[in-house]
Amino acid sequence: MSQLSQKHLLGIKDITRKDIDLIFKTARSFKDVINRPIKKVPSLRDITIANIFFENSTRTRLSFELAEKRLSADVVNFSSSSSSVKKGETLLDTVNNILAMKVDMVVMRHSSPGAPHFLSRHIKANIVNAGDGTHEHPTQALLDTFSLHDKFGSLEGMKVAIIGDILHSRVAISNIFALQKLGAEVMVCGPNTLLPKHIAELGVKVELDVMRALKWCDVANVLRIQLERQQIKYFPTLREYSLYYGINKKMLESLDKEITIMHPGPINRGVELNSDVADSDHSIILEQVENGVAVRMAVLYLLAGVQDA
Amino acid sequence: MKLLIKGARVIDRNSEFHGKVCDVFVERGRIQVNPGGKISADREVEAKGMYLTPGWFDMRCWLADPGFEHKEDLESGLTAAMYGGFTGVAALPNNSPITQSKNDVKYLANNGHPIVTIYPYGAVTLGCKGEELTEMIDLHTAGAVGFTDGLSPVWHSDILMKALQYLQKFDGQLVNKAEDRYLTKYGTMHEGKQSTMLGMKGIPGIAEELMIMRDLELLRYAGGKIHFATISSAKSVALIKAARKEGLSVTCDMASYQTAFLDSDLVNFDANYKVQPPFREKSDRSALIRGLKEDVVDVLVSNHVPQDMENKKLEFDLAEFGIISFQTVASDIAALSNEVPVESLLDKISIRPREILGLEIPVIADDETADLTLFDPKSEWILDRQTSHSKSHNSPFWGKKLKGRVQLVVKGAKVHITP
Repeated sequence: MSQLSQKHLLGIKDITRKDIDLIFKTARSFKDVINRPIKKVPSLRDITIANIFFENSTRTRLSFELAEKRLSADVVNFSSSSSSVKKGETLLDTVNNILAMKVDMVVMRHSSPGAPHFLSRHIKANIVNAGDGTHEHPTQALLDTFSLHDKFGSLEGMKVAIIGDILHSRVAISNIFALQKLGAEVMVCGPNTLLPKHIAELGVKVELDVMRALKWCDVANVLRIQLERQQIKYFPTLREYSLYYGINKKMLESLDKEITIMHPGPINRGVELNSDVADSDHSIILEQVENGVAVRMAVLYLLAGVQDA
Repeated sequence: MKLLIKGARVIDRNSEFHGKVCDVFVERGRIQVNPGGKISADREVEAKGMYLTPGWFDMRCWLADPGFEHKEDLESGLTAAMYGGFTGVAALPNNSPITQSKNDVKYLANNGHPIVTIYPYGAVTLGCKGEELTEMIDLHTAGAVGFTDGLSPVWHSDILMKALQYLQKFDGQLVNKAEDRYLTKYGTMHEGKQSTMLGMKGIPGIAEELMIMRDLELLRYAGGKIHFATISSAKSVALIKAARKEGLSVTCDMASYQTAFLDSDLVNFDANYKVQPPFREKSDRSALIRGLKEDVVDVLVSNHVPQDMENKKLEFDLAEFGIISFQTVASDIAALSNEVPVESLLDKISIRPREILGLEIPVIADDETADLTLFDPKSEWILDRQTSHSKSHNSPFWGKKLKGRVQLVVKGAKVHITP
């Protein structure tokens, strides 16, 4: 029987290549489903899923909610822009209160790295990490790599540059793990202050110059400048950032090959990506969004099928 | 009680019995080594394979009382210290109020525990904020045994220099935790590959090393003496070794648990592994072990920092730093003795800290007042609600089987035997 090796999806680091292949295979059939006139399947009927978001999110929450509804799950939403601790209730209390109302799965976003791992030690429900601080964002990495897989058939030997604020990016960490598991080569590029000091130890190339990164890669995954997650100043001004790290059409046209542009959204237009790139044929940004629903359907569907060991 | 400790190896370099297996008899609080003839003892303790040392002394612990009695109070803290083998503890000033007045010192010094004596540190700066000096001469007169901002570093260069100068009047000991708070801000664990994978802001070794360099320069300039608390990085060991070779009055300690874990052990975001300084890398661990062997690291401390569950059973970055550790020093020493001679380790937890603080040193010799700790490196036990005596339970050793334990503590006529 095809089943995931984990009860939760906490991070890409914890899952196997086989898990990823299974998720892709399942996502592909769900992608067919959501392109039909009737976009819904009864797979998760009687399953209740709580989307618990301690950090602002529009698209990830929407994407999860759509995935859940298309699987016919019952859905409840809880969001709080600040961490629950600041309101005087601990994370554990908040989640236990929600679980007491008989919830089967929890999709959680939280500002603390490891918050879903912490939770997984204390509660029984399946947990999907929808982003934990600067740690991981596994479904984003899955949908990113799925989108590449969809376009190119395989990621083996592909060169992917992740460009921007690597230090504050859970998308970067999860993408590095996912890309490496799928056989791609990874480079990170950004101002040195936004690259974790020890990032090279994860087996990635490090480049400080965007043009050189673009020349090297087949795919550029451009990250959002996470101003909201920077507690300390890491570069002088957005102006200088966009001038020296932003990507525009002219840069792409100067290359002797065509590269694919990705972005996890929301884009700071004119900062890390110019509109002439974001809206160009190079970009698969909207495919990423579409695939996001299919991949999340696959993850939820597969996790619901994992029996306790 | 007449107590006979049979066949323990005495580890006390100030005693003629150092290194010898002896019978030690304690009657009315006085020691008699290898008493001849027939001895009638009320209690005999078979101590074959165990080590008898002067009572252990903890140069760094936080008792949290007054102010944080929900984490620890003097009674629970000192009971845990006693079970851990300590007859004296130097208490950090980070209470509420901070130990910065005569009264604060006396509250701690006069607690009257039968076995464990508190030797309070006075704060270097008001509120341990690092900005204004406390009345250190007055605190010294009231009984403060040394000066430190405890869990906080003395970050202000001018204040540190003035403290070094001011303390020279009475040869006072300055103890500093080397940490550049700008470089450790928001950090939660050692900066390295593991912190990168976990997406956590790191606490780089350089935050400690830079501060040690600064302090050593100030020491060179101002004179006086400094003791670095809980060093953790390879470079710190090298810096202190070089400074001492040059003749500076510098000493240091490390937490006995520091080498028990590496940053890579932190896989599950368990806040019981969240300590300050953090568990570091293999190369740091090897350097610390070498530092112990070469006596660059003078002292082992418990660095006991109790935290209540509300501050530990949390998301990792929101949890407080620190672990309870009075009672696990013995098992740490047993583990360390695989790499460092046990005699040396025991010296670092009994005699050396008292030397650095200029305190009277108990001796295992005839007619001396008994101040003893009996350490069994082989005894196995589990740290849990039954055995732990701290109010808090924050320890990475919680629930684990440990090897090495203190079996007996004697202070004068008072005897505590671990059941």
